[in-house]
Amino acid sequence: MIYIVTALPCEASPIVKRYDLKRDDACRHFPLYRSDDMFLIVSGVGKMASAIATAYLIAQNVKRDEAGGEEGLAIINIGVCGTLNQRYPIGTPLLIHKVIDHETGKQYFPDILIEHPFEEGSIETHNDVVRREDVLSGRVELRADLVDMEASGFFQAASRFLAPHQIYVIKVVGDYLDVVDFDRQRVAQCISGALDAVDGFIKQVEGLCRVEGDVLTQDERLQLERVKESLRLTVTQSHQLVDMARRYKLRTGRPLPDFSEFAQTRVKVKAEGRKALERIRRLLLYE
Amino acid sequence: MSKFSHIYIEERAAAYPVAQHVLSRFPGSIRVMVRHYKDVFNRPHQDFRRQKASTKLILAVKREPFLYPGPEVCEDFGNPNFYYTSPVLNCIYDCDYCYLQGLYPSANIVIFVNIEEFFKAVDRQLESGPLYLCPSYDTDLLALEGIVPYASRWIEFAGIRQGLRIELRTRSANYSAIAGLTPVEQVILAWSLSPHEVVRRYERLAPPLKARLTAIKAALQDGWQVRLCFEPLIKIHNWQQVYREFLDEVFSIIPAERVFDANIGVFRMSKEQFKRISRLRSDTDIFAFPMVCREGGVVTYEDEKEIRGFFYQNLNRYLPEEKIYG
Repeated sequence: MIYIVTALPCEASPIVKRYDLKRDDACRHFPLYRSDDMFLIVSGVGKMASAIATAYLIAQNVKRDEAGGEEGLAIINIGVCGTLNQRYPIGTPLLIHKVIDHETGKQYFPDILIEHPFEEGSIETHNDVVRREDVLSGRVELRADLVDMEASGFFQAASRFLAPHQIYVIKVVGDYLDVVDFDRQRVAQCISGALDAVDGFIKQVEGLCRVEGDVLTQDERLQLERVKESLRLTVTQSHQLVDMARRYKLRTGRPLPDFSEFAQTRVKVKAEGRKALERIRRLLLYE
Repeated sequence: MSKFSHIYIEERAAAYPVAQHVLSRFPGSIRVMVRHYKDVFNRPHQDFRRQKASTKLILAVKREPFLYPGPEVCEDFGNPNFYYTSPVLNCIYDCDYCYLQGLYPSANIVIFVNIEEFFKAVDRQLESGPLYLCPSYDTDLLALEGIVPYASRWIEFAGIRQGLRIELRTRSANYSAIAGLTPVEQVILAWSLSPHEVVRRYERLAPPLKARLTAIKAALQDGWQVRLCFEPLIKIHNWQQVYREFLDEVFSIIPAERVFDANIGVFRMSKEQFKRISRLRSDTDIFAFPMVCREGGVVTYEDEKEIRGFFYQNLNRYLPEEKIYG
């Protein structure tokens, strides 16, 4: 599952179109779009807005019973940014390896574990719009290749929930800090131009975040549930049973033994359950 | 993504000659400056397993303390002042049973570039008496010699210090990297050895047994003191036969009379580490055998004593009692 956070509707629209995402009208707080394997939220401008939308997106939509839950998803902040460095042509997408929060000085690092088609760079997130003349006059000192207004808020919020290999920032160079009139169409074009590369990247990320299946099959999990119920096992005993079953399968490479005898037993007192569990333990650990 | 695709460099580490040396070995790597190495190394929720597939390097400056008292679970070989030090954190190998995966939050390799300060700390410690020091516990310095030449730096340092004895523990077959050095009496090259089957199943990226034995033979011929470390002994199917044949193979290549000493250690781990790692590792059966938690919170096999006893008896066929520890 891929989650995408953009600041502006014009950054979102090419992505919505590309992946045929549908507006989720049930979400009253943000423009939210979705498909079977992707969510996109439009946060609004600024790191606080981005942090709030990111936290909302993850907290509202991760269902732990879905395949992989939090572990199986990745979240990407996609948007335009500015730079003073004219070696980056307008429309260049960069994968960010360091996010600096201008106001706090804190630094954040995604874990880049996959091959990707992007040039990499660092980004500095500011509360206010940074203008070329501010930098050239020395009023603002830049410590990164790129400048934006969301990445640090996004990253801080996402890393509360996810591992650093699940959090990415892709920024497309939109200007040289010299914007006079904001041109939505130009922004959408910048994002559009990067989407082929983004699409390949998303596939790689999905592969990286795929969660390995449990060693226990669905049938075996059901069988263990029945045993837990009929033996009236406590929470701790239930955990022990599942743990022993996993270890048995890892060690022997065989399916679990037939537990129907235990599943059919109806224990009246907990001591009986304890005795039965001890028999299972011998069966699973010493065979 | 390839190993060491990224090198994170602490700002204060960049100017050190060791940092420059490491960077020169990886001209194509992306360099990322960081304020403090822990900003990368200690990030929350890192995935040790996934990072192992694309390990990064971190260059940093270590601050005090530089030396730590030797842990209870490690053999001191009769040395009274047993310390260890960690000029590098983490290892290039990927052993299923490795305690490092529960010790550190990250699989990335940290190289502390201020090696001279480690040496100064050793000198200060030596003022209060002899010292037995292990600088290759939380890593494998010989395996990393091509990246950072710390095995040779420690050998050279130990060679000119009175009262210092150093153990360089390794699984590497990279003896040629230090073969040019004159053997130093104060240094013990300690090779961890496991049977083929254990190497094949549980010691990913580590050299095969044969290669390690060839390296040991060459080191012995050159006059180095060599310790054989039979740890961790791992329980596998038909373990008695596997370990008997393993020892026969080892001593068909290594002249037993020239071995300095040896130690035996059955697989064991602190309770907390065991809990953390076994939860991470559903891809290996190594934690799936019946275990017990012994006094002091150490988890090991239920039949640890039997395994140790069996191995000791067989090792004793080649080495005298006084040369076997553990």
